[in-house]
Amino acid sequence: MPSEETKERITKVIDLGRTVLHYSWIPLIIYVGYTRSTPQPTLIKLISPLA
Amino acid sequence: MASIPSTANDGFTDPSPSSFSPSPQKSSTPGVAPFTNIFGRFSQWRKSLDLPNPGSVENLQKEVKTTHLTNFIFDGARADLTKSLSLNPAFQVTHSFALGSQTTAPSYNFGAVFANANIFLQGTVDHDGNVNARMNQGWTENSITKMQAQLSSQPGHNMIQLEHDYQGQDYTLNAKAVNPWPTDLTGIFIGSYFQSLTKNFAVGIESLYQRPTPEMAELSTSYLAKFTSTDKSWIATAQVQPAGIVQTTYWQKLSEKVEVAADLQLIAAPGRRDAIATLGAKYDLRMATFRAQLDSTGKVSALLEQRFAPTFAFLVSGEIDHFKNAAKVGVGVMIESTTLTPEEMGMPPQP
Repeated sequence: MPSEETKERITKVIDLGRTVLHYSWIPLIIYVGYTRSTPQPTLIKLISPLA
Repeated sequence: MASIPSTANDGFTDPSPSSFSPSPQKSSTPGVAPFTNIFGRFSQWRKSLDLPNPGSVENLQKEVKTTHLTNFIFDGARADLTKSLSLNPAFQVTHSFALGSQTTAPSYNFGAVFANANIFLQGTVDHDGNVNARMNQGWTENSITKMQAQLSSQPGHNMIQLEHDYQGQDYTLNAKAVNPWPTDLTGIFIGSYFQSLTKNFAVGIESLYQRPTPEMAELSTSYLAKFTSTDKSWIATAQVQPAGIVQTTYWQKLSEKVEVAADLQLIAAPGRRDAIATLGAKYDLRMATFRAQLDSTGKVSALLEQRFAPTFAFLVSGEIDHFKNAAKVGVGVMIESTTLTPEEMGMPPQP
């Protein structure tokens, strides 16, 4: 059984990972899609619903 | 001497297990050779039965769910604007707006999807900043790992599900963990095994292990069966859950354009006896899809999805609850646009 200190550290790491995932998931998909697309779209076409 | 060629010939014509010669592979350790021989013969015999893969437990009622409109109905007004930015690899973004619903608050959702041959990434974020994330990673043709998460700034609304799916030649194995917590090993763990017994019939078992706190643990197992007709024109399924819930479904393709589905759910738990039957039909016309449904709680509902152009669809849905005297109406538009030229989409150039 891990000690209380290790448990606390694991909890902190998981919480940090969740926050990172929360704020970076959509930017990650857009970055991956934007760089891998053929042909590469322009940024304004990517974000605006009307362009 | 003459008998040797004849037995070798029989191996090709007679599928019975005895006619197979022992596996030609030699094991390096002589002690395990009999076992590897037996295993090799067993797997060859299994291969010779030529049973189909039964599909996954999650998709047991897939045909019924796409025919019924329970998963498609909406009320109020909605608009979905989808923009395809690339076809291979697939990359598209979606803006969806919904308002005027009786049950849910007005909302705006932004979604992005990226997919190539091995990986699938999907994410949506709403106006409150709640993120839904989904990722599938295929390792080989029949082995796939899935991740699904709901991330919210409010505590208690977070969820993560990790899943691995393996599709064997005539079976499917699946393991799932919902909200696993490594320090005290709490969470929900689900394992399932689905095996074809004949070309038409498959049975399965699904175990659910719930451990909400380290002191409390509960194991429950449900059983499933699926019967598919030889030409796949009809499918019958049954699922028995330990709490006294039985769910049976029947789906039939009547013609190229018409599918019907029936669903019967029986609950016979102590203190509660209930049954719900649902009947539905789906028509796939050239420019439209129409679904109609009737259930034993007095609800009649219909959904029409009319495509006026390849990029523009109009949706109307309605539901009348005769027992509660309530009604719901919904209208929606779906607009798809693309930044690609027709040549880039693989269409022949216009004259």
